[in-house]
Amino acid sequence: MSARDFLAAAVFAFAAIAPQAASAVDVKVVPAAKGEEVWFVEDHTVPIIAMSASVPAGSAYDPAGKDGMAAMAAALLDEGAGKMNSQAFHAALDDKAIQLSVSPSRDYMVIRLVTLAENAKEAFQLLGLAMAHPRFDQDAIQRIRAQMIESIKQDEQEPPTVAGKEFTKLFFAGHPYGHAVNGELNTLPAITQNDLRQFAKAHWVRGGMKISVSGDVDEAELKSLIGAAFDAIPPARPAPLPNVTHLGAPGVHVVPLPVPQPTIEFGLPGILRSDKDFIPAYVANYILGGGGFSSQLMKEVREKRGLTYGIDTDLNTYSKAGLFVGQVATKKESVKQTIDVVKQVMANFVDKGASASDLADAKTYLTGSFPLAFDSNTGIAAQLNAFQRVGLAPDYITKRNDLIDAVTLDDIKRVAKRLFNPAKMTIVVGGSFDNSKPN
Amino acid sequence: MQVLVVPDHRAPVVTQMLWFRVGGDDDPPGLSGLAHFFEHMMFRGTKQYPNGQFALIVARNGGESNAFTTHDYTAFYEQIAKDRLPLMMKLEADRMMNLDLSDNNVRTERNVVMEERRMRVDNDPQSLMSEQLAAALYLSHPYGRPVIGWPDEIRRIGRVEARDFYLHHYAPNNATLLLVGDITPDEARPMAEDAYGKVPARELLPRAEYAQPARLGETRLNVARPDVKVPIFIRFYRVPSYADAAAGEAESLEVFAQLLGGGATSVLYRELVVKRKLAVDAGAGFDGYTRDDGSFSVYAIPRPGVPLETLEHAVDGVIASLFAHEAATADLERAKTQLIASATYRRDSQYALASAYGQALSIGLTANDVEQWPDRIHAVTADSVRKAAIKDLKKIEAVSGYLRPGK
Repeated sequence: MSARDFLAAAVFAFAAIAPQAASAVDVKVVPAAKGEEVWFVEDHTVPIIAMSASVPAGSAYDPAGKDGMAAMAAALLDEGAGKMNSQAFHAALDDKAIQLSVSPSRDYMVIRLVTLAENAKEAFQLLGLAMAHPRFDQDAIQRIRAQMIESIKQDEQEPPTVAGKEFTKLFFAGHPYGHAVNGELNTLPAITQNDLRQFAKAHWVRGGMKISVSGDVDEAELKSLIGAAFDAIPPARPAPLPNVTHLGAPGVHVVPLPVPQPTIEFGLPGILRSDKDFIPAYVANYILGGGGFSSQLMKEVREKRGLTYGIDTDLNTYSKAGLFVGQVATKKESVKQTIDVVKQVMANFVDKGASASDLADAKTYLTGSFPLAFDSNTGIAAQLNAFQRVGLAPDYITKRNDLIDAVTLDDIKRVAKRLFNPAKMTIVVGGSFDNSKPN
Repeated sequence: MQVLVVPDHRAPVVTQMLWFRVGGDDDPPGLSGLAHFFEHMMFRGTKQYPNGQFALIVARNGGESNAFTTHDYTAFYEQIAKDRLPLMMKLEADRMMNLDLSDNNVRTERNVVMEERRMRVDNDPQSLMSEQLAAALYLSHPYGRPVIGWPDEIRRIGRVEARDFYLHHYAPNNATLLLVGDITPDEARPMAEDAYGKVPARELLPRAEYAQPARLGETRLNVARPDVKVPIFIRFYRVPSYADAAAGEAESLEVFAQLLGGGATSVLYRELVVKRKLAVDAGAGFDGYTRDDGSFSVYAIPRPGVPLETLEHAVDGVIASLFAHEAATADLERAKTQLIASATYRRDSQYALASAYGQALSIGLTANDVEQWPDRIHAVTADSVRKAAIKDLKKIEAVSGYLRPGK
């Protein structure tokens, strides 16, 4: 069998399996007592329950001069609640092997709770206590602040973090998306106990909250668990974030660092999730740089030239802005060459668009791999919550593969022209390199 | 070839993992990094599927693929829709016997590996420090050589060396196949026989049995570098592994690591971070899934102004108190509960489950050992923990490192 025959057979056969993606997961929308909609997948195979919940408490809500407040509040969520101090609260979690983790991003604070089904009641009650009655003890604040400060110092030597932070600052200049989620050495000390209390009161709220649950629980019990976790917090909804008026700082910016391998972060204005061209753009990004070994950038930069271990691009969708962003790391002698190759590949993509086989491959990957995200309770909860955050409806899961299959070569060409202009790129190099002026 | 099937019918998806009993330990003298480099070469191509087609075909069929190498084993995996499994087996069988090792491939891939090394190790002073600590800890045993290889030796890997390595290590008689997901053993058997039955067995190069020489004293490493922003104290002990420990000993070390340094309720964190405020973070870990000796690590990151000497002294104080007195019942029970629960949590993920079985089988344990591990953790007592810790955490079996900012 020749490679060509093989490809044709693969593409053909796949058309038959794509619908399985939809049947792979059966999502129920469960109305909780206080009006939140919970996306729920019931599965009793493994005796665990996983929840992902997002509340509008991201870093974009940090007050001026107090960068890192949302992140500090998030880090303190499991540091004492009600009558329990930090150690007592952690012991209550660990004694039952309850996993509670909180990660702040720009729009949302994402809470991940994973528990054995037998401990579900305690797990959701503890979360409820933490959400409604956080202590923000001075001792815990001092400890968490010290950890955040040392972590920022540590990041100062890491090229990917340095490049990413500078990129964000330049790209979103003037908007609350522009500052570092985890704050700065000079802003963290300014955050007080009272600030944190006020922040939690205003942002750890049910308005705008998104919840997904998967695992070994039935609908009636789920409702009572959700009630235990969230009924006691206020229904308020924070004021919307300001609109973005300007994106990008075209050109090459360098943050010198004494490292053998700088990181290059490059990007352009992206596309909002609500834009009608989002799905074509998502497919186009896969072909250009999002598709691992299948992407044009990986082929040219790694496979042909051996310039890097990996190159990847993404379409990030925040509530108020879209961002097309990529990262690549290469030895300092190859920084200029790598930037040139990235620009050439992008220019070529805008010029020629994708080939029919590139598009067919992208579609069979993106539709065929969709069920992989639903192979575990933690994966299901995380995936559903991600859909909720960008405002999709539950039936998106059944429609998604058809939307991807409908993308045409013309669509790809149109969005490539709209998005991937190499001349407008904001490029930040974290690390020193030899030729500071790439073409 | 040994085949293990773990059915999980939640999604119409299967994970295939192929584990070869070859790793960094099998790198020939002067060619550290060859096994890892070879893992990369397995993606380069065969006569039938040249030019990196492997990963492209997997992706085109909606699958994910990757691989990893340790000192003891090399594993390749794909996760994909169930009806694509025969194709995945065909591709794995093809690259097990038909790999194309032309010169140009070798050169480009060597550059990729050098970039991988810069990213993972050379850019990161803590990784460089860990590499040096391991080199000092294991003396002449190959666990002291980095799996990714020393830069000067990676550069010497050529086509001939790669080809020799392939012919002596990559064959079904040196592999274990793990299938986790929407598949039954009855379905798997004909599929696996059809694909892998066609791959000839090869005469394997016997794995070298390396001495683990007695250590005569503690080793200390002081590193000061301008790229260090935050100081850290790290210590590694050479300790028995699940493969070479006495019954219950590795399990006791596992529980000791958890109660000593597994998270915010551990004794180290409580004493150094919460109570005495000497450290911003502190922890411990046990790596026991190795064919030869494993390692037990402790670390602490000081609060600004606290000397590393003070911190190390405090760590030693905590360890000494757990040698002198049995751990508190609450601490012991909490550690055991968390470890036992981890076995349930990993059943949620095909990847985690396949990894757990594959790792165990690759170091000479059995599927039974994996299944009974929670019961063996349950049987650990305060006394067995204390005895194992006293026996195995000896200073002469340790390398202690200070990493700090400097010229």
